[in-house]
Amino acid sequence: MAIDWITVSAQIINFLILVWLLKRFLYKPVIRAMNKRKQTIAERLNQAREREREAKQKIQLYQVKAGKLKNARDRILDDAKLEAAKQKKQLLELARAELHEKLDLWQRQVVEEKQEFMTSLRARASENIQAIARKALHDLADAELENQVVNTFIKQLKTVDKKTRKSLSEASEPLTIASAFELSASLRDRLSNAINEHLCPGIEVNYTESPELLCGIELSRGGHRLSWNLVNYLDELNNNIEQAFSSIAPAREEA
Amino acid sequence: MIISPDNIVLWQWGQFSLNATIVFTWLVMALLTLTSWLVTRNLKSTTEISQWQNLLEVLVTGIHDQIRQLSHQEPGRFLPFVGSLFLYIAMANLLNVIPGYMAPTGSLSTTTALAICVFVAVPLFGITREGPLNYLKHYIRPTWLMLPFNLIGEVSRTLALAVRLYGNIMSGTVIVAILLSLTPYFFPVVMQLLGLLTGMIQAYIFAVLAMVYIASATTAHEASQDIKKETESKPDN
Repeated sequence: MAIDWITVSAQIINFLILVWLLKRFLYKPVIRAMNKRKQTIAERLNQAREREREAKQKIQLYQVKAGKLKNARDRILDDAKLEAAKQKKQLLELARAELHEKLDLWQRQVVEEKQEFMTSLRARASENIQAIARKALHDLADAELENQVVNTFIKQLKTVDKKTRKSLSEASEPLTIASAFELSASLRDRLSNAINEHLCPGIEVNYTESPELLCGIELSRGGHRLSWNLVNYLDELNNNIEQAFSSIAPAREEA
Repeated sequence: MIISPDNIVLWQWGQFSLNATIVFTWLVMALLTLTSWLVTRNLKSTTEISQWQNLLEVLVTGIHDQIRQLSHQEPGRFLPFVGSLFLYIAMANLLNVIPGYMAPTGSLSTTTALAICVFVAVPLFGITREGPLNYLKHYIRPTWLMLPFNLIGEVSRTLALAVRLYGNIMSGTVIVAILLSLTPYFFPVVMQLLGLLTGMIQAYIFAVLAMVYIASATTAHEASQDIKKETESKPDN
């Protein structure tokens, strides 16, 4: 357990050198690096706080902007709704007007078609009635339609009032008998005799054919006329059909 | 049996002899300095650092914090001295596991040298802080009768410091040597491990005691100054 004082002094020097070396190569650099890092972290924290503050400001700014945008959006939406309602109303009115117009047009077309139909019906009915009447008379009474028409006309001549008879007899023009069908010689004789006997004695009678008389016969002189034909019957048929149409139309409108 | 590396003389020139204590001390110094230089030449201040830098930072921060806790003062002034004491003794003891190596701390010359360093450093730190007169007044407090006891205390604690470290490390070496001759396999290994633990604890104890002595030399004066200030302010009341 001896102390070698030379070694002691050498170790003291060695230790002091070690202190200097470690101070130079260990403590100073490490502490400097740590302080620098501390400073860097502090700076970064400050930057982060600054950025956070800026971010908060931006958030507030954007919130205000978002609020404004929302208000503007609501306003635009309200305006758009009002505009849409207005346009809807206008379009509805327009559509309604157009509909009315089309309805009027349609109704006019219906009326026209109806008239055309009635005219066509009238013509066909006349022909058919004439044929049916002719056939029915022939089958039932063994009689000719022309004969019956002439008979009926002669009966009508017999019942002519005085005023008509006078105006017919006093007229200067020739007396004309128009018929829808051709009259046979016997029928012409019968008609001529009946006219001479009941209306105008000793007058000459002219005979013509006129298909538009609808199975009828017409006497005319100086603007005075006497006639019998199917027009009255056809008018009655027309009236009946029109009544049938008018009873269907309200039912459709209700549907 | 060689129990002190002082006795291993490697080179002799007149009265000066180069013994194993000095050579192994140089080895420890070289190892510490080289490691420090290698790691600290590429230090980074960013948050991504190397493992070695991390190790050194942990070491330095640990010593730094220990000094702060013991002295309640800013540790910057004491760090190189106390830190070097710890690192030197710890490394010297740690290398004991290498066969053929003998810890320089197992030499009474080394521990005496370190104790003398502490013996000198304590008043030096006190004087640099308070001035020579204020520091020397510490020895005659609370009364001049205490001067011999204070002086004896200074010397004895230095002696205790030296002998404690020497005894512990030397005893470890001796015990291993004795056990090797008795039971060559298992026990020496256990004792070697125990020696490592003892070595680290001794390094810690040496450094802590040195710091305590230095701290007592500096804070005692501060405390006495505080008392003086208080007594000066009391008469006004």
